[in-house]
Amino acid sequence: MPTVPPSTRPAWWPQFSGTLRSTAVTARLGLVLGIAIGTCFLTGLLSYFQYQAWEWLPPPASPVWGYRVTQGVHVATGMAAIPLVLVKLWSVYPNNFRWPPFRSVKRVVERITVALLVSATLVQLFTGFFNVLNWYPFRWDFLSVHYRLAYVVVGSVLLHVAVKLPDIVYGLQTKVAEGDVLTEIPWNENPESHSIAGPLPPPVTPGLSRRGVLTAAGAGIGVVVVTSVGQTLTPLEPIGLLAVRQPSKGPLGVPVNRTAEEANVIAAASAPDWTLKIIGPKPYALTVAEVEEMALHEARFPISCVEGWSANAQWRGLRLLEIVERAGGTADSQIRVRSLEPAGFFNKSVIFGPQLSRALLATHLNGERLTVDHGYPLRLIAPNRAGVFNTKWLATIEVL
Amino acid sequence: MKIWRIVLAVVGIGIGTYGISQLLTQIPRPTLALLALWLIGALIIHDGLLSPAIVGVGAALRRYVPDRGRRYLQFGLIMAAMVTVIAVPMIYRAHTQPPAKALLLQDFAINLTVLLAAIGGGTLIAYAIRVARDRSVPGRPPRDEAQE
Repeated sequence: MPTVPPSTRPAWWPQFSGTLRSTAVTARLGLVLGIAIGTCFLTGLLSYFQYQAWEWLPPPASPVWGYRVTQGVHVATGMAAIPLVLVKLWSVYPNNFRWPPFRSVKRVVERITVALLVSATLVQLFTGFFNVLNWYPFRWDFLSVHYRLAYVVVGSVLLHVAVKLPDIVYGLQTKVAEGDVLTEIPWNENPESHSIAGPLPPPVTPGLSRRGVLTAAGAGIGVVVVTSVGQTLTPLEPIGLLAVRQPSKGPLGVPVNRTAEEANVIAAASAPDWTLKIIGPKPYALTVAEVEEMALHEARFPISCVEGWSANAQWRGLRLLEIVERAGGTADSQIRVRSLEPAGFFNKSVIFGPQLSRALLATHLNGERLTVDHGYPLRLIAPNRAGVFNTKWLATIEVL
Repeated sequence: MKIWRIVLAVVGIGIGTYGISQLLTQIPRPTLALLALWLIGALIIHDGLLSPAIVGVGAALRRYVPDRGRRYLQFGLIMAAMVTVIAVPMIYRAHTQPPAKALLLQDFAINLTVLLAAIGGGTLIAYAIRVARDRSVPGRPPRDEAQE
């Protein structure tokens, strides 16, 4: 590659004189960020599988805390990645100011893919965070965009790693204090760079050292994670200064994701003549009194929300499988449960396989009759099942 | 290394193209336009506003704060900025949801103040220890002067 002496640049062109930024710093930040994004992507796919399970591969019922852990990790790594990506981008900011700005087609293509990588990652992380805050300033369907944009993020990360692999290998193999300074002039065009001029004393960092930058970033992310993860790692709830949810403050010690008022079911759920209709080869119906009389089974399942909060809870109710078998279904049936909620994507869910065998139709939560926000008179609860599919305010059970 | 680069690039382009084609075929046009606006907006806000501001702060610190103190100030500011980025949307959204959700019930402005005070306090203590140590070693001038 022909080298362009920096002296041909106009005098007003930005110059970065700091010595803190270096390939060694960037490679370390990038490695951690890559692990965070990869973990976030894989746990996200596991969550998406709860939404779109294949018929031949039913979601497992054990471990009962499986989704609690994977989705807790998904939200925690996503939140941690926000400050991390900002530090990572700080470390490479001078790369935006290479001279000349459009030196070759290859270079322009690389900058376009980097722009896509940066913008997709920022939008993905921030809209994910906003979703956890139940805040939708973007006015699109969160799930369908978040899922597809994830592939754009991960694809462009992999491409970026492919392009930068020699720099990454150099950066990770170099002691953090010694590596080339990262400025707007790439190291291979800078005659004073460590890699070209040979062994030089490490660049002087008069203020904070490079190791100090990494330590500060690690400490900052540590504070964010420790003070926010209490929404799912409940022992840390008392120090949850940045915890979005406080599970213990929910009614009966469990938060609610969708209130009865939001679902527009208060009147229907409180009606004394409510009945549960079971549709199948041998259809029948149960009244509130009958349902309460049959609610003899206890189970301890966490409820784990896609938004990253979770809480363990003691449930009491009817075994769904017994109800299904009485209607002529079996453990191999597909069951659709419907809510009293008149509309919306989440007013129904399908349950089959191992989750069906262990599911309860719950009347009681932590020893108390369900409140209307928790799904009174009757709700579904199954192990390792995304909270949103534990349908509340049940109206019908249908053997498909 | 070359074979790894090719494999990574091919897999990356494959996954990314899948995502883009999914977006283009499954997402309604008005949403795509909005998404494009957000993607461009994110770049402009980050590269055009946030990053120059941080570069400006760094330059100001280099100019006005002596090396020894700057080390601690930079450390504290990095931590403070990371915590603030997460806390600010929470402050904005606090107390907007029905109480049954147990969502954003805290006063996050106070919580952020507590965290920033803790970070500031910790940084100050570390700096004070440094100053005291420099003084307790006879004949050793503070590092700033030694370098000048």
